[in-house]
Amino acid sequence: MEFSLLFAALMGMLAMWAMLWWEAKRGNAADCARSLWDVALTAAVVGLFVGRLAAMIGDGVNPLTNPKDIIIVRGGVATGWAALAAIGTVLVMGGKERWIVADGLSAAALAGLAGWHSGCLARDGCLGTSSELPWALAQEGSAVTRHPVELYAAALLAIGAFGLAVWKARGRPPLGAPAAAALAIAGGVRLITEPMRLALSAGPAVWYWAAFLVGTVALIILLWRKRTSSATTAATPPTQPERQAGP
Amino acid sequence: MFIVILAAVLAACGGSDVDVSDVPELPPVTGDEMMAILAASEQPVVLNVWASWCIPCRSEAPLLERAADQFAGEVTFIGVNVRDGQSGAREFIAEFFPDAPIDHYLDRPGDVPIALGGNTGVPLTFFYAPHGELVQLHSGVIDERTLALQIDEILARTG
Repeated sequence: MEFSLLFAALMGMLAMWAMLWWEAKRGNAADCARSLWDVALTAAVVGLFVGRLAAMIGDGVNPLTNPKDIIIVRGGVATGWAALAAIGTVLVMGGKERWIVADGLSAAALAGLAGWHSGCLARDGCLGTSSELPWALAQEGSAVTRHPVELYAAALLAIGAFGLAVWKARGRPPLGAPAAAALAIAGGVRLITEPMRLALSAGPAVWYWAAFLVGTVALIILLWRKRTSSATTAATPPTQPERQAGP
Repeated sequence: MFIVILAAVLAACGGSDVDVSDVPELPPVTGDEMMAILAASEQPVVLNVWASWCIPCRSEAPLLERAADQFAGEVTFIGVNVRDGQSGAREFIAEFFPDAPIDHYLDRPGDVPIALGGNTGVPLTFFYAPHGELVQLHSGVIDERTLALQIDEILARTG
């Protein structure tokens, strides 16, 4: 029995919890009635389940006739479907506060992904394509040095998570903008690191492009709307006080 | 409603009935014979130890099939069925490896993986450089990244 994937999942949960704790001290989603931690965990489980089902169907394995296979997560999880299901769960569970919840979880989600990627250390799964760079690593007994690509991804996601958390705390971003930024960062990091990963297939690059583009476009629109509404407010002359009737 | 639709979609994905008529009987193999096969191989070899009753083996089978198709001509793929019978093994092959270029053998007592330096667990995946030099032994279900990495390693040691 192998527990290295479980370790990676625990690393992800720990990083997510730590980010939520750190942000809570800085007023993250302070007026939100829902527990961000509960929403995050539910979204992660739903995403994992849907992603696993999608991977099984994609491999031609019927989940109904092979239900026990569903729990063999190492057999593969379809990243794109998993992400869609997780995002959908957040938006549904958030109810009327869905964008507050999504924004509240944005940095924590990136931190959780960073933790998940760093879990490669427990299963000797950090290495990618061969490289001559000074920090390239070789697996035991091998002369081939390789990019520690999962650690690159973990570092970039951690930087993104921290930057987003600081922006949320200090920058007063418009509603939905942190969630859009998180989507763009997650997609962007996968696009940057994917060429350094070894895989049997080209990987679901379409999903990564979709996440990056949707997140970036949404972010630009939200920031532009905030800017134009601020400019409009500033340009509107203050209401003239009513002239008081003379004696 | 969602669950009903999901169940209908999943049910349409395929049934459990498999036709084993196209799957030949698996030749029996011993540890010494397998070591001779590996030593004679000019190509790197991925050797997967599996059983039809092994649930994790089922989950990694599609991945191995894809890898065998992708690296056909560069890497030899061998499957060793252990502690199993012909009928179970053939049904498994018909369901999960119908057209994959994998040479399957039957090792009813389960001696081959022990002779190769492995253990009694399944699944196991051995990665060999040409002429039987063991590069890596992976115990348990293998994931895509690990499989791709180890295939890259054994290809790097070729010629």
